[in-house]
Amino acid sequence: MKKIIFTIGITGILALTLAFTTLTVNKLVSKAGHINFFSHTAIEDITADNFKVVSTLDTETGIVVYSVPMQGFEFEKALMQKHYNSSKFLDTKKFPKAKFKGKIMNITDINFDKEGTYNATVKGEMTLHGVTKAITETAVITIKGNKVIVETKLKLTLSDYNINFKKGKPSTNIAKTIDVTSKSEYIKED
Amino acid sequence: MKKRFIKWGIIIILSGLIIGGGIIFYMFNQPHRNIQAITSDYQMKASTLVKDYLTDATLANEKYLQDDGESKIITVTGTIASITEDLNQQQVVLLKGKNEKAGVSCTFTSETNGNTKNLKIGETVTIKGVIRSGAGYDEDLELYEDVILEKCDVVNN
Repeated sequence: MKKIIFTIGITGILALTLAFTTLTVNKLVSKAGHINFFSHTAIEDITADNFKVVSTLDTETGIVVYSVPMQGFEFEKALMQKHYNSSKFLDTKKFPKAKFKGKIMNITDINFDKEGTYNATVKGEMTLHGVTKAITETAVITIKGNKVIVETKLKLTLSDYNINFKKGKPSTNIAKTIDVTSKSEYIKED
Repeated sequence: MKKRFIKWGIIIILSGLIIGGGIIFYMFNQPHRNIQAITSDYQMKASTLVKDYLTDATLANEKYLQDDGESKIITVTGTIASITEDLNQQQVVLLKGKNEKAGVSCTFTSETNGNTKNLKIGETVTIKGVIRSGAGYDEDLELYEDVILEKCDVVNN
């Protein structure tokens, strides 16, 4: 009887340990990533920053997820920020978060235990303004000490996500394609 | 008589243009809201705000978010779970109880950063800021996201 209880106990502990290691070990979390977007036209340059990006990076499977609180973008001009948030543009009350989920295709090329800079190809889906699009982009991953830094620079065509300006100032002052740069830092737990 | 009429007409039109132009100029260059100088829309426990979101996120967004991005200013009281710094060198104080799934993440500014100096993990504190997004479980991240408040400062009782 004692032996059975002992066996069950040991199996239970083993199962639990296994469950927790597979769940937590490979997944890096960052709760304070930075995303900047930049729009250039002959008339003016517009830029905004967001420092509240939540993201995860699974160093084993290469799966990356970004969640962006859309009202966290800060513009130089208050009026521009109001326009950006409004229902005519990003409609951030209706779509408070943007998301990217994808996979680093060459994850095996990246040695997270060795310092260095690696190029990664990321394939996935971007959901912005309620529209989901498949995208493939490149990212630079830097391993330094206990830090993993992921940086990307991509171009985003606003009309792909149903953000259209046909008339007036916005149509002349906002670029059709904007530059988006992002940086997330993760701390390795070992 | 006619000349005088024209003269006054010109003066009125000119002053109209100047006032109108001034309003447009002010609108275009209007400053950001000074969150700390405005009275809070809500005052509550951090856990109550999180609970509002975990119960019904759509309803909570309706209540706390504004469609021009100038969302509600909220004063929350909670237990400090962590104090970190973001990539903009802003202090981030997470208010979250030990057994809670999600908390309220409060980001300070370059002006208010110093006021987090004397805060300690485990202490209860009251913080005021503007809400940017709510809490909830994200199945892709496989974790609970916190409520995000920005432009925060400590409220002295």
